[in-house]
Amino acid sequence: MDSLTKLWLSTGLANFELGQVIMMLVGCGLLYLAIARNFEPLLLLPMGFGSILTNIPIAGFSEVGGLLHFIYYAGIDTGIFPLIIFMGVGAMTDFGALIANPKTLLLGASAQFGIFATLFGAIALNAVPGIEFTLKDASAIAIIGGADGPTAIFLASKLAPELLGAIAVAAYSYMALVPIIQPPIMRALTTIDERKIEMAQLRPVTKVEKIIFPLGVLLMTIFFLPAATPLVGMFCLGNLMKESGVVDRLSSTAQNELINITTIFLGLGVGSKLSAEAFLNVETLGILALGAVAFSIGTASGVLMAKVMNKFSKVPINPLIGAAGVSAVPMAARVANKVGLEANPHNFLLMHAMGPNVAGVLGSAVAAGILLALVGG
Amino acid sequence: MNSMEQQFLEAGTLMLAGMVFVFAFLSLLIIFIKTVLAKLAVKFPDPIAPNRNHSNKKKNKVVSGEISPAIIAVISGAVNSYRQQHSQQNFSLQKAKK
Repeated sequence: MDSLTKLWLSTGLANFELGQVIMMLVGCGLLYLAIARNFEPLLLLPMGFGSILTNIPIAGFSEVGGLLHFIYYAGIDTGIFPLIIFMGVGAMTDFGALIANPKTLLLGASAQFGIFATLFGAIALNAVPGIEFTLKDASAIAIIGGADGPTAIFLASKLAPELLGAIAVAAYSYMALVPIIQPPIMRALTTIDERKIEMAQLRPVTKVEKIIFPLGVLLMTIFFLPAATPLVGMFCLGNLMKESGVVDRLSSTAQNELINITTIFLGLGVGSKLSAEAFLNVETLGILALGAVAFSIGTASGVLMAKVMNKFSKVPINPLIGAAGVSAVPMAARVANKVGLEANPHNFLLMHAMGPNVAGVLGSAVAAGILLALVGG
Repeated sequence: MNSMEQQFLEAGTLMLAGMVFVFAFLSLLIIFIKTVLAKLAVKFPDPIAPNRNHSNKKKNKVVSGEISPAIIAVISGAVNSYRQQHSQQNFSLQKAKK
């Protein structure tokens, strides 16, 4: 009888707590979004599975000595995984559209207003009982508005590791929801005539320019914002590997095998942070709400900036491309292209929107560096 | 409440400093692209450009070796119209005979 009780006590059924069951259901929800709805499946699938694994009673995946514990501390706590992913993203990024039309950098800059405005929102939420965000927490939440997964995870792991799970879930969910969140805002802020604007063709960009560009960006970051050099440095390394054309093997590894392997571990590591005590609270709801606000403000300020630029520029600028300033490459650029095509079937904005889109990546990395320098110290 | 006000103040300062810095940084980047990169583009034009022409020429050669679709279209159009005229002539001849 005694051994029977022991056997019963070693089963999962006897040890389940309500929180664990709920978090497993959350994990299943993420799996559903990934598999059935195709929402950022590359990350949400391992993340959802990680959430299931970490909430298994007795198995101790996330306790000291457990698999997910080691993955988290080796790759996310140290910031290595998001940085490796950023290198891969750099190797996949073509700055051609940006170099051909450098004005679009301003769009990428203004879309970062979503990040800094959300800081306010996060602090304001402290008025709600049960929510207590420090300035570090608020900064880590606000970076969701940068719409850049690796940047958000990197900053959260440095500033507010206890909120990392919720921040990553919010960041990737909203990135998957870009085609749903952005178009209504874009339509509300522009007239049909503005959406119809066709843009002049971009000038060709030479290879030398594309090689010098990442080096120039890195040099400027070294001079003015060393706190952002981990992100910008890895990004520029990946980009230089691609554009130099002499290390195709490395470039191909960075944008394929390496980024894939890292994505698996990053997803699992983030999933390990989805434990009941860390996730099931009012703060998570606050983070999800703030994420949506951050995205919307970022989109709106990008579009508004593009409208202003269109007024003063000699060359016409379609305000829709401003929405692509919130990074989320290449989804946001595709959305701008799609909304443009709705208004004018001959209007192909994709290449023009790629400029602000990659500018947004740089902008959010710079914003992350600023937050790290001013709040993290 | 006082600490909340202080936090708001800090957030406000952070927002101002952050936005100013982001704009300043990316504006400097615009200047960098417009001055340094534009000069480089003029000094070191792309070696790929002549290659592209080369491949175009090659393509043209290949195309001229075969028969281009445009020529086929013209020929088949001419044949069609000839046949139509011809059949109409036949028709009118037949009518005349009657």
